[in-house]
Amino acid sequence: MTGDLLLLSLICLAAGTAVGPRLAGAWLALTLAGASAALGAAILVLYGGAAWEWRSAVSLGGEALHLRLDAVSAMFMALLGVVGGAGAVFAQGYWTDGEHPDSAPRGRLWWDAMLLSMSVVLLSSNGLHFLIAWELFAISSYFLISLERERREARAAGWLFLAASHAGTLCLFAFFAVLAGRNGTWDLGPMQGRAELAPFFWLALAGFGVKAGLFPMHVWLPSAHASAPSHVSALMSGMAINMGVYGIVRFSGWMPAPALAGWAMVGAGACGAVLGIAFALAQNDLKRLLAYCSVENVGVIFMGLGGAMLGAAHGDAPWGRLLLAGALLHVWNHGLCKSLLFLCAGSVLHATGTREMSRLGGLWRAMPWTAALFAMGSVAISGLPPLNGFVSEWLVYLGLFDAVSGRGVLGWAAMPAAVALAGAGALALASFVKAGAVVFLGAARTEAAAPAHECGALMRAPMLALGGACALLALAPAAAWPALARATGAWHPAWADPATPVPLAVLGFVNTALALCLAAAVGALWARVRVNGLRRAPTWDCGYAAPDARMQYTGGSFGRTASDWFSWILLPERVMRRPRGPFPPNTVLFERVPETVLERLVSPVAAGVMRLASGARRLQHGRVQFYIVYLVGGITVLAILALLG
Amino acid sequence: MIGSVNLLIGLAMGLNLMALGSSRLPSVIRAMAVQGVALGLLPLLMSEHFELLVALAAVGTVIIKGFVIPHLLRRAMRAANIDREVEPLVGYVPSLLLGAAGTIAAVAVTYRLPLLPEHAHTLLVPGSLATIFTGFILLICRVKAISQVCGYLILENGIYLFGLLLIRSTPFLVESGILLDLTVGVFVIGIIADRIQRAFDSLDTRKLTVLRE
Repeated sequence: MTGDLLLLSLICLAAGTAVGPRLAGAWLALTLAGASAALGAAILVLYGGAAWEWRSAVSLGGEALHLRLDAVSAMFMALLGVVGGAGAVFAQGYWTDGEHPDSAPRGRLWWDAMLLSMSVVLLSSNGLHFLIAWELFAISSYFLISLERERREARAAGWLFLAASHAGTLCLFAFFAVLAGRNGTWDLGPMQGRAELAPFFWLALAGFGVKAGLFPMHVWLPSAHASAPSHVSALMSGMAINMGVYGIVRFSGWMPAPALAGWAMVGAGACGAVLGIAFALAQNDLKRLLAYCSVENVGVIFMGLGGAMLGAAHGDAPWGRLLLAGALLHVWNHGLCKSLLFLCAGSVLHATGTREMSRLGGLWRAMPWTAALFAMGSVAISGLPPLNGFVSEWLVYLGLFDAVSGRGVLGWAAMPAAVALAGAGALALASFVKAGAVVFLGAARTEAAAPAHECGALMRAPMLALGGACALLALAPAAAWPALARATGAWHPAWADPATPVPLAVLGFVNTALALCLAAAVGALWARVRVNGLRRAPTWDCGYAAPDARMQYTGGSFGRTASDWFSWILLPERVMRRPRGPFPPNTVLFERVPETVLERLVSPVAAGVMRLASGARRLQHGRVQFYIVYLVGGITVLAILALLG
Repeated sequence: MIGSVNLLIGLAMGLNLMALGSSRLPSVIRAMAVQGVALGLLPLLMSEHFELLVALAAVGTVIIKGFVIPHLLRRAMRAANIDREVEPLVGYVPSLLLGAAGTIAAVAVTYRLPLLPEHAHTLLVPGSLATIFTGFILLICRVKAISQVCGYLILENGIYLFGLLLIRSTPFLVESGILLDLTVGVFVIGIIADRIQRAFDSLDTRKLTVLRE
């Protein structure tokens, strides 16, 4: 049954790739069928029990096909189905053939190609096929990011992504080649007993970490997510970066890891969580803010994963399992909320044509659905009850608290990690208060925001579906536990206990009660407003004669205090010319937060490499005579070596 | 007998220097042709008793290297209207000095090589190394395609000379292999030179740098 569903999914996605450019309707049907079949197969594995495995005599590239869907990959496959399907529906309303006659057909093709290659990555249990699918996945992501290729910004983001992705893939090539060399086969599977493989886990961490956007390897992430069309950003942020997480979960479960790797992952995760959200707070571009928030959430996920590895290494401590379950659930939660938020951002962009928050404002009157769903996503992503972000962060907190109460160095390390998580949560709340307030509240700051309109049904439906999924995970977190228990069991056989932990069951009731209270409060307020009516009055404006829509809090003023704490890494650039004298000339205030890691670290190194490379390129000048000199020189050196040796 | 072999090889080594030192294409071609004839006669002198195959190969070598190829080259030169000037990248005197240094180095290196006793007293190995080196110098230091063909052929002569070490064990194989190699090489270079001439109106290889990508 699982196999049939997966086959159906792969066939539908392949057919969608083929017909996508021409037949939009058939493409949507095929993509939805493929996504739901993938979701169905994942649910069968997660809730039905048995992992699915299939070996074929058919060989591809000299290696026999070997596919496997166990609970770990099924967790990710389920998310792939939800996000892939929702994004496809959204794209039909958002990136239509009428508005983008050139890029919409290409977008449909690469969308299905990307879903297909990600499914194959999740399924394949052979290093060679994994690499092939991984590369196809990177290429289709590249084409989706640079879909609007007439814009220079999108092309640059695509190139940056491609370069970073290939740097990571290089590590993965080395990693899989080493595994194949040591194992004698490209076939993958549990190899826990092979302690000599442990050092190669670093290669996997580097290779998958780049794709996951783990700080400080996240350099490609902000521009790629910001410049891509919003449904693509949703897929990238909701699913593509989770493929990197998948790689780490997969191989940390299958192979022994060096003792230091868990510490490194917790450390990088904690730094990434705090710094990622600090960067998010300082952004003025709505989608860039969301992208940096993804860096934060990947940091949270890596904290959980690293903690789980430490727990497994220290006598299968139960808190390790809580951390792993929290990390895996956070993959789901972050994937769902973040795609919801990116779709909301897409809806705003579609309505106003700009992502710059300082040009927006007051959109909630024109776009109530988008505003409400954005608020819901914000609450969820900030890790506030009663929504789902809180559930997974709660599991991570519980794991960290249990680790603190245990003795030893682990306890001391868990405490700062918990503090970092709390700090990141607070900053996330600040970021989303800023984003929500500047974009949706107040009055329209520019002409662009004034004529905004609510998005159509095709765009609203997937947003509602994602919001519904978030609510489901929030109100019934215990329902996710069987899946999590199977996944943790597949990761580490000692952690397969299916009994729901008490805190999770309680949390479901608490969340439901809280949600009911909130609903009751809103209902009461609404009833009062309907009875008494709303009294409208001008805002107190300190006595200005002509208040203007531009006299509002800006995004910068919302985030200023908190982003000043991080000015040592944000390095904000500021140009200001104050008004002076009775008839002041033009005044200027310009603020920009650079991509510190990219501009201060990666770019100089890359420029050095380029200089070396162009120096080496001078050897290639096309003069036959000099090529013969190289040849003679080489032969002479070899002859001298042979004579001396 | 060793004396006459050494004499011929010595002649070939002298012709190397002549090819390096001459400033005009026809004399380079002539040096190469005479070298080909001299080396072509070597198998006849080296085999102890008369063998028909060896004799046929030797005669073939002499005819092809001494007459056919030089004739083809002269005709190509006339057809393409090439200047008789060689146009060196490195001047004649430095080339000559390089060639001489290479010859001395070849002799010096030969003393360190573990050779069979019957080869140790011939000039076969140093002569072949020196000729190969000369071929390389011509290939590197000359500009025109025709002089590069000459360099290539002198290089081939050196390889042929080295191959003569094996003439006792596999005589016919060596000969025919070398001849085949040579013919193909000349054909390829001839065709390339012809195409270059047609495409660029010149046989100056310096103008080919745009083809490097």
